[in-house]
Formats: sequence, C-alpha cells, structure tokens
Amino acid sequence: MSISVNGQSCVPPGFRFHPTEEELLNYYLRKKVASQQIDLDVIRDVDLNKLEPWDIQEKCKIGSGPQNDWYFFSHKDKKYPTGTRTNRATAAGFWKATGRDKAIYNSVKRIGMRKTLVFYKGRAPHGQKSDWIMHEYRLDDPTASGDAAATVTAAAASSDAGQEDGWVVCRVFKKKHHHKESGGGSGGKHGSGGGGDGGKAAATVHHGLHYSSSDDALDQILQYMGRSCKQEHEQLLSPHGGSGGGAGRAGPRYLRPIDTVLDRHGFMKLPPLESPSATATLTPPHLSAAGDAAATAAGDDLLHGGGNGITDWAMMDRLVASHLNGQAPDAATAADQLCFDGGAEDADGLAFYSAAATRLLGGGGGSSDDDLWSFTRSSAPAAATSTTERLSHVSL
Amino acid sequence: MGGAPNLPPGFHFFPSDEELVVHFLRRKASLLPCQPDIIPTVLLNHYDPWELNDKALQAGNQWYFFSHATQSRVTPNGYWSSICADEMVKSGGCNIGLKKTLVFSMGEPSEGTETNWIMHEYHLPDGRKESSSSTSTSSSRKLHGNKGHSNTESNNWVICRVFDSTSGSQVNFHEEGMELSCLDEVFLSLDDYDEVSLSNN
Repeated sequence: MSISVNGQSCVPPGFRFHPTEEELLNYYLRKKVASQQIDLDVIRDVDLNKLEPWDIQEKCKIGSGPQNDWYFFSHKDKKYPTGTRTNRATAAGFWKATGRDKAIYNSVKRIGMRKTLVFYKGRAPHGQKSDWIMHEYRLDDPTASGDAAATVTAAAASSDAGQEDGWVVCRVFKKKHHHKESGGGSGGKHGSGGGGDGGKAAATVHHGLHYSSSDDALDQILQYMGRSCKQEHEQLLSPHGGSGGGAGRAGPRYLRPIDTVLDRHGFMKLPPLESPSATATLTPPHLSAAGDAAATAAGDDLLHGGGNGITDWAMMDRLVASHLNGQAPDAATAADQLCFDGGAEDADGLAFYSAAATRLLGGGGGSSDDDLWSFTRSSAPAAATSTTERLSHVSL
Repeated sequence: MGGAPNLPPGFHFFPSDEELVVHFLRRKASLLPCQPDIIPTVLLNHYDPWELNDKALQAGNQWYFFSHATQSRVTPNGYWSSICADEMVKSGGCNIGLKKTLVFSMGEPSEGTETNWIMHEYHLPDGRKESSSSTSTSSSRKLHGNKGHSNTESNNWVICRVFDSTSGSQVNFHEEGMELSCLDEVFLSLDDYDEVSLSNN
C-alpha cells in the first residue's frame, strides 16, 4: 500500500492521523530530535512565527479527509539571547501559554511535558483571545531519564531549564464550545451510559467530553467563574422577611448563615440558604436552565464577594487546587476551618454554618438536593428550634 | 488490529459515518472488495459485546464488524435495544444511510439490565426510498423489519461499531485531544479575569 501524503493518493479510507501523546513524543519527536528518518513525512516543520493558526490547516493537511487537529514540528528559539522566554508572535497575533505544563507519562515513566497555549489576535496586552489552542510537547531531558522515581525532580528542573530551546511537536485545534451540539456526524457521540436521567442529561451536555468526577466539580467552578449575573445576585441578597422570634441578632444570621459568617472574614459570600436558588447550586448547573441561572448567581456571589465582600483569589486557588487534586473534602474542611476560626462564642451556630458550607463546597452530587431542602427548611424556624435539633440535622 | 499495514504510528482507524457507509457498507453490499479489507463479518447474535475481541476489528476501544440486519438482536447473555431515534447518514446533502444507536442489556428481553455497551448500526437506505427525504425514521424502521422483499439483498448488510461508553477518551476518537482538560479551562478563564482587570486599570 503506497501512501503519499502530499501527493494524490493518501491514507486509506477510515484512517486518521491521530497520534496518542506517547506516539507523538516517543516516536515522532524522539526521531526528530535524533535527526532520524521518519517513515512518512506526516509532521511538517513549521516556523511558528510565520504561520497564523488558520493557515496551519492548509499547511499541515494529511490526506484528503476531514481533519480537526493539525500537527507540526517547531524549533523553539529564545526570545532574547539572555532570557528564557520564547517568542511565539505571528503577524496577526501571538500564542500565550496558559496554566501549568502537564507531565506526560507512558506506562513506565515520564516521557515529556505538554504546554497549552492559546492564540490571541493583536498585540500583547490587548490581545483578543481566539478559539485556537496549541498543545506543545517537549521531551524530557534524555540525560535525566534514568530511574524514574529518583530523577523526577531532577528531570523537572532540567526540563524547565531547557524547555525554551530545541524541537517540540505541536498539535493545534479549535476549541469546542461545550454548549453547542457539534454538527460532525461521527464517532460515538451517543455515549450515554445506562444510567438514570441525570447521567443522560449530563452526557448530552458533556458531548465529547469525558469528565472524571473531580473534573465535574471543576466544571461547576468554571461555570461560576465565567459569568456574572448582578440582578439575581441582588435578589438573592435582599432580606426575606423577619425572623419570627425576637432573637434580634440570631434572626438575620440564620436567614443568611453562610453569607454572614464567611463575609465577616471577607472571603466570600454564598447565597442565603432559605432561598430555593441556593439549593440549585448543589445540582450540577448544566442540568437545568433554572438551576443554571441560580448557580450563576451563586457563583457570582462566591467569586465576586457581592457588596462589601472582597474577592480572595487565594481562597479560590485553594478551592480549585483541592478540587484538582480530587480532594473535595479538603475544601470542605478548609471551609470548616474558616467558619470555626470565626466566632467561637457560638459553637452550635457555627457547626450549622460549617455543615452548610461543607455541603455547598463539597457538594455536587444530584442526590444532595433533598438533603439541602430539608436542611434549609429547618433553617427557617431555626431561631426557635432547639440546638440539639439543629445539630441532628447537621449530622445528617 | 486497527492499524493498516505500512502506516506509521499515529494512524488509527477512526472512520466517519460517511466513510463507513460509502467505503465499507456500500462496497460490501455490492459484493465489491473493501479496500482495505479489514472489517470482518461477525454474526451479531452469536456474541456478547465483550466477546468481540479478536473477532471484530478493534480500533482503540471500538469494535467494527459487518453483520446481517436482524430484527431480534438477542445474544447469548442479553440483547440490544434502540435507545434513541435513528439518524440519517448524509453525504453531500443526500441520505446515504441510516444509523441506529442501541444499548446492550443483560438478561431476558425487556427485563434486562442496561449496560454501558453501545452499538451504532449502519444500514443502507431502502432502494426505493433513498431519494425521498420525507421518509420518517419510524417507517424506515418498519421497512427494515419487513425484510424478504426483492431488494433486501443489498440492504441485508449492516456495519456495526460497538464500544463501552465508559471507557474514556478513546470512545470518541475525533474528539480526543480536541478538548481542553478542565484544568486548562480553569486557567483559560483565569486569563480572562487577568484581561478584564488589566483593561480596568
């Protein structure tokens, strides 16, 4: 079977060049770095500074079939002779690195690193973010790849030092918009497992995405972050009636327990518990339109801190980090800590708040809905309820 | 399996719906050799989905095989049943085939327990109905059920893609790598906030 990528005949029908990260690093990039012959010239050399992302598709076409991602080798040169930064500007814009580099492992050891970059149109401080994404793969320093465990830090250090020079292999693609149903009629897009309604709805929204459970929590954070919804925010914050009894100080606090406690520390605000919208924050926000809106408002609170609150990115960092590490409970614990640091004079109330915070921060499972409903209902007459009763709810 | 001979690493069998119908199903139905001839024929009723290893063409976590259209999709330990409306496979605006999505259940028909095994089953459209865009999915389903008419010979073949919907990113090969990790998304959003705060200052 003769395959000429650049000529007429091409890849047999049904086959795509879609290398795994290991194939990219261990086969293609390794050969490139070692200046070895690569069987088929599928990955071109590209001067990144001279090629706009939208021109890459034409330049890096493989065969004649539809393509969603494009591959090329690029030789990285330092931006300045003395510095370590890479110049990734093109005529129309620039590639900007985002996030942290990800280590790529094969079944045995770490083989390389992946950097994610986004293309911005325009010039540096005023660039306009596009949907073009690049994954840039580099090999670990070969000298550092001895025995895995001992050299991990050494490898990290050396590859960090040497990362801005030499050959890399890149994959460029256009970011998918998750809310849109993609038109391409291919692949297993009906991947909804045999679960219940929740599973199916999630599968529809998450079309083409494969979340782990901790990613799901992240997804929520993301949704919170990307939006703002002042109006509902204000609605949520407007006081809801009085507190039946004459428990002057306790009344408003029970109406907006988390709000009050956390806000005192200037960390963040959460919506009042007695509001039905607050419940919706526990459901994954993409499951229903109403829930979405409510979650947005809640997220707005969470991040922007509302009226007198101060947005604390350190707090957010910790929250994100703990979710990333798959340690949601830790986030909750952190919140607990915050609450207890607060006013130790009112132990039972604080237990109540921290439990609520735990639920809001660590929550995410659809099944906790009912929980919170009972929880919130109990909070309304809370001023008149005995401490033990409240605590029994907390321990639910 | 799954790699064609003489293709370097990185090439994988990941056909689009259109390619499956045009390059494989049509040729099979017309008794023409498929090129490459890599998709074997497996009798659907003979195997449970987890037995397809070494029998069907494996590409990533997907298995491809030809089979014969059948109304009863009962296997030794379960059965396949439709889970959503049939889709048309289109090519250049024309309907060139029909795609059914089925889920595998363990146990006796209608009493079984759903699994995560999903099957896409591709049919060629009924010859006489091919040009009619008004063919509703329900009527075409009936047509497939009432086989035994003159032109069923060419419609008898189906091509199937079976996969475990929980088995990660290999399920949707086209999508794999085209998505950002959630971590990346977080940082992307944070970049947005950077931009906003910069422009505000």
